[in-house]
Amino acid sequence: MTNGILELARAAGEAALATEGVHSLGTGRYAEAATYEGTEKFTGVVVKPDELEIHIVANYPLARSIPDLARLIRERVAAESGGRRTLVVVEDIEVANEGL
Amino acid sequence: MRVFNRIVVILLLVGLITLGAYTVVYSFELFGYQLSDLSALLNGFTGGVEGFISDVEDGNLPILTIALLAAIALLGLILLLMEFKPRRPRRVRMQRGTYVTRDVVKDEVTSAAEETPNVLGSSTTVDAKRRPGAKVKLRADVRRGQDTKAIKSDLRERVQQHLARTGVPLGRLKLKLVESDPRQTKTRVQ
Repeated sequence: MTNGILELARAAGEAALATEGVHSLGTGRYAEAATYEGTEKFTGVVVKPDELEIHIVANYPLARSIPDLARLIRERVAAESGGRRTLVVVEDIEVANEGL
Repeated sequence: MRVFNRIVVILLLVGLITLGAYTVVYSFELFGYQLSDLSALLNGFTGGVEGFISDVEDGNLPILTIALLAAIALLGLILLLMEFKPRRPRRVRMQRGTYVTRDVVKDEVTSAAEETPNVLGSSTTVDAKRRPGAKVKLRADVRRGQDTKAIKSDLRERVQQHLARTGVPLGRLKLKLVESDPRQTKTRVQ
């Protein structure tokens, strides 16, 4: 388990990115979704005292339903969340351009 | 309510600017206005207010004024209740801890709509509900003279199925079919 919130955000972001069906981390739709520590920030994951918010862009076509994708992300991120409740926000879908 | 709040603030600022301009003009006696004229003007205004209040106390108000005051009170009550109403969420809640932006739902609905035979184009509005699910308004363009009832039912089914596949709970789906000229729609030939 990580100590600094920025490290925690990074670890959670990497875990989310490693999930099949996640294209990238989101940047926030209405306000920037990022974790700040000192002069650094990590975009795509918001670490709150009791909550971890992960913003993602999903691959299209979807390999699985969005709730299933969110469940997978939650499972992967659980080890990094430090007991926080994990929220998954699907910000966008990106059309896969493989083979084009 | 944001629009209403904005209107109130604009009116308040316009009032303040007007009041400020009057104060400057009368204080420096510009354009021939004297400070002594202002007290006469204010006396007229306070006299009017006093007259109105004494009419209220005596119960001498005309029926139109009573109706207007009642309407203002009712409007105030409605606006107060609307202000207490919690804001509609920005994101669509799917299940506990999972949210999806309205744009994603919109893209999914549009893709399902435009895959439907005989639909030439579409425009979608998505609102998030407080409960899980999205409120979708879909306007689809079809050629003139086609069986709109059949297209509507097919479209509804496809959108519902598509959203169910992606896991987006659909709260309400409102469909509107518009007969359009294919030359002016997104999909010209199908």
